[in-house]
Amino acid sequence: MTDNKIYFKFDGKRYGGNKGDTIASALLRNNVKLVGRSFKYHRPRGIYTCGIEEPNALVQIINEYNEPNVRATVKKIYEGMVVKSQNRWPSLKTDFGSVNNLLSPIFSAGFYYKTFMGPKGFWKNLYEPLIRRTAGLGKPPREFKSKSTHLHHNIDILIVGGGLSGLLAAKKLAGTDKDVLLIERENELGGILKNSNKVKSVNDQKTSEWLEKTERLLKNSANIKILKNTTVTTYNYSNHLTAIEDRSVGIEPDNKKSELVLHKIRTENTILANGHIERFLSFRNNDLPGVMLAASFEKYIQRYDVVPDNNPVIFTNNSSTFSLLKLLIDRKSMPKAYVDVRDLKKIEKETLDLLEAYNIPFYPKSEIEGCDGNSGIKNISVRTKKNKIIKIKASMLCVSGGINPDIHLFTQSKGLVKWDEKILTFKPEKSFQKTITLGSVSGNFIFKDIIDEVNKKLNFIDGVNDIDLKIEVNGSEEFNIKEIWETKNNNNSLWSKSFIDLQNDVTTKDLTQAIREGFDRIEHLKRFTTNSMGTDQGKISSINALGIVSKLLKKSVSEVGTTTYRPPYNPVSFSAIAGRSTYEFYDPERKTPIHPWHIKHNAVFEDVGQWKRPWYYKKYENETMNEAVQRESKQVRDSAGILDGSTLGKIEIKGKDALEFVNMMYTNSFTKMKPMSAKYALMLGEDGMVKDDGIVCKINDNHFITTTTSGGAANVLSHMEEFAQTEWPNLNVYLNSITEQFATFNISGPKSRIILSRVFNNIDFSNHKFPYMTFNTFDYLNYKVRILRASFTGEQGYEIYVPPKYALTLWERIFYYSRDVDLVPYGTETMHLLRAEKGYIIVGQETDGTVTPLDLNLNWMIGKKKKDFIGKRSLTRSDIIKGDRKQLVGLVPVDKSYGIEEGQHVIEDKNIPSQIDKPIKMLGQVTSSYFSPTLNHSIAMALIKEGNRKIGSQIYVSTSNMNVIPVEVVKPSFFDPENKRLLS
Amino acid sequence: MTRTFSGDGIYIAQRDFQQILLRGKGDGRFAETVNGEISLLPPKDNLRMISNENYLFAKQSFDQWSLICLKNKEEEALSRMINTMNSNDELLASDCSYGQVYFEFSGDKMKDYLNKLTHFDFRSKKFPPLTIAQTLIARIDCTIYNLEDKYLITCNKSYEDYFKKRLQDTIDL
Repeated sequence: MTDNKIYFKFDGKRYGGNKGDTIASALLRNNVKLVGRSFKYHRPRGIYTCGIEEPNALVQIINEYNEPNVRATVKKIYEGMVVKSQNRWPSLKTDFGSVNNLLSPIFSAGFYYKTFMGPKGFWKNLYEPLIRRTAGLGKPPREFKSKSTHLHHNIDILIVGGGLSGLLAAKKLAGTDKDVLLIERENELGGILKNSNKVKSVNDQKTSEWLEKTERLLKNSANIKILKNTTVTTYNYSNHLTAIEDRSVGIEPDNKKSELVLHKIRTENTILANGHIERFLSFRNNDLPGVMLAASFEKYIQRYDVVPDNNPVIFTNNSSTFSLLKLLIDRKSMPKAYVDVRDLKKIEKETLDLLEAYNIPFYPKSEIEGCDGNSGIKNISVRTKKNKIIKIKASMLCVSGGINPDIHLFTQSKGLVKWDEKILTFKPEKSFQKTITLGSVSGNFIFKDIIDEVNKKLNFIDGVNDIDLKIEVNGSEEFNIKEIWETKNNNNSLWSKSFIDLQNDVTTKDLTQAIREGFDRIEHLKRFTTNSMGTDQGKISSINALGIVSKLLKKSVSEVGTTTYRPPYNPVSFSAIAGRSTYEFYDPERKTPIHPWHIKHNAVFEDVGQWKRPWYYKKYENETMNEAVQRESKQVRDSAGILDGSTLGKIEIKGKDALEFVNMMYTNSFTKMKPMSAKYALMLGEDGMVKDDGIVCKINDNHFITTTTSGGAANVLSHMEEFAQTEWPNLNVYLNSITEQFATFNISGPKSRIILSRVFNNIDFSNHKFPYMTFNTFDYLNYKVRILRASFTGEQGYEIYVPPKYALTLWERIFYYSRDVDLVPYGTETMHLLRAEKGYIIVGQETDGTVTPLDLNLNWMIGKKKKDFIGKRSLTRSDIIKGDRKQLVGLVPVDKSYGIEEGQHVIEDKNIPSQIDKPIKMLGQVTSSYFSPTLNHSIAMALIKEGNRKIGSQIYVSTSNMNVIPVEVVKPSFFDPENKRLLS
Repeated sequence: MTRTFSGDGIYIAQRDFQQILLRGKGDGRFAETVNGEISLLPPKDNLRMISNENYLFAKQSFDQWSLICLKNKEEEALSRMINTMNSNDELLASDCSYGQVYFEFSGDKMKDYLNKLTHFDFRSKKFPPLTIAQTLIARIDCTIYNLEDKYLITCNKSYEDYFKKRLQDTIDL
């Protein structure tokens, strides 16, 4: 193996290529022209282009990434690369799917829409499974762990395209105070200077010398960054663009490095210098392997030093093919023929001279009638100006149907385009954003005019000077073209086709048929025929379709209009879009200071917002969640348990008007509340519905600390801020979130006081000194802890607030002092069970944004004498106070051996018909349900219509197996309703 | 304790600071009280900061201020300072010392590195020295203090593990 040689496999066969080769250039180097099968008809397909516009040569890369639908014309080979052709079985040469081609006469436009209509049931059971199995090209990866990353840029000027125009723009901006990013799709700068033979010299230097000097100058300019192998895919509003950089060009992807980078660019101005795309022409069998765009043929020679064929036929309707003709002659590869649609008088003198000098068969005012061959061109038929068919034996045909400015990004930016009758294409007319087009993308195909265009369009930028450039071109500077979209053909076979969209197998006949069937609007026609709806978006053919349609409709192309160019410009991998937001970084995670202890003690975690909360702790490997929860809850009731409640939201409220503010925010009254006492409080929205709950601790009338639910912390703070800042700016009150400043432990159970008395042995925890719903701050070791006597389990309980730095130490000390007390750590599921036994609600479980405090029987929490609070007015609305609203009740199964399922319907009727043909009257739904180990039966909470009136009655709860179980409606407090344990 | 991450042109050091979050109008008695404690007057402009060898004092919004103690204080001294500030009923001082984590970013590629994690515009014409910004970095809320040759970035402590993993991952890639 020499340094420059690379070996790869295509369909199991080993080939050699040169370093820097694309799969296509390497295959052409090995004279491989058949590379794939078409999407619908499985027709043999070759390499049509030399770039991103490729509709045919889509292949599958076999590696860890298992990349399907890769453009062979773009992807560079690397040592050991394994490439397979797609959409064929069993082999590329012998593909059973090609039976579709035999049946193609019946697969006309709209075949699917017309055929798969009936009989009833066939779509679901036959058509859809069958179509799904046969549709698609490559195979996506099964196990794929992308390392794609994102990179943001904030710049003044983005230049898209590192060809001649882009380089001139960058050169003009070099050394200014503008931050410039130049993006080039290929791995080298130069564009047309690299791809073609059109430019002979620049400033009297070889183009390669000028390019080298210019690149060096740009690299040395502090204000210019260059990105290669990067394609701008999307142009959004506000000059926000995205681009994909391929970091694994020519190398095997390394799963430790990012293979793709999604660049997100925010810029003041965008310069589009992204060039043009050559278009093809429709003729009989214009899809046969061996047909290639003329500029692409030239690019293979210029950029990769590969001559796809030594004696091709050239077919053109414009002046751009002169450079290819000259290049071939210079390389002693004489074209078999030169076929030009134009009249002799319109053909440039330079072309005529060359053809004559080298005695190349020349057919002016002629066209290609069609090609013939099985898996490649064998014969090419030329229709001469005298309407005579001449057959030429050749294996390649270079086609040029004209040049389209690459307006995809311009139109994505909402810029307006206009049809130009002279160059027969759409070109940018008016920018919608700060967008400048330069060079061929603006329809300027004349090199000597580019420098003036650059100077003229960029002179508005401060600090730029005019630049000068001398360009010498091969052949004529003028661009000349004759309109032709499809050639006449002697359609003597049912299987000969003239394609308009190679990727989606759409023929020109399909366009005719669609129009005949009434789809005469271009957007309708596009969808009916699927023309230009492939991943190539019809880059080489969509304008041709407009041309053909305009002729059929007898309208101008302007009147027909264009279809919408949608982002992305080329296919973008989902992995690039996701970036690092996958797997371990799918969502940011929040952890409490006790997290390492939880892991060590086999906690199973539950996601609460972004928090990781212990759900339950496994005592032994096979312990189920139910077993763990039953064990934990029993232990809390029997001795004591501790919950990591650090995720609770905490807000500090202070100011002269803090009391009034808190009174307004919550339903409760805090006016008569004593300092250093606490109250369970309810917060409503303006609609009177329960928004959040928590405990309000009053330090004094000017200073409060409140807690919120874990998930509601951010919302509650912003709700408070909104009212403080916009509704009551007269109140002197300030708020700070102190959620993160304190870890919180909830210790509850009959032995909680004993434990705390041991840990904090200088504090008197007696009922007398430390009654229920009071709190205080204590010095402990060298820090402060706040202890609140409160409970969410119905047991004697305390909440300890401690700075996170000391939290784990304190947590472990608590366990140290509880060695003989049987303290159990419990998770959120046990907390839910314990609170349900007491009938305490959870916001978000018993409430859903449509539940009022009255519905929850929390009338006692409403300060009746308060003049106002948020939601007060709504509580008097007729709909809120009507008697048949759903109210919170408890449910107990009549047969205590039954369990009640959470979320099930509560109904009055015990019979559910096997076939439900009319709505069943529903009373409400089960909001919470658990098996209580203390009571030894299931308990549930439910919101049911007129719940309070139904207490004592028997109703029914549905089950997931379409049954019902009878339940008794009880008050929603199942355990210690007198609160003896709570207040003990 | 300082934990560091480093890569090509990027150096990240984790720092232990104490922080007080202040709310108030910033003038009159507010300024007097704060100045009495830290010998600095509050910056007048939004998103500006001032500093001396002991403190970094930033205005986060029209009535929100962040005070970072660059030299660690004894718990008692910090507590006393907060109590003194809170004795003024025109302001609220909340101790955030342990609820935040602090990272110092430096190196000639720190902006490029950070732009892998945030869309924020770090160019000095948009984010001049001695200003601050609040934005998303690695999809979490962060505050950035531009200290000219380095950035101090803070976020909630609960994100510490996630944030560090993202920092390391970004270096590795």
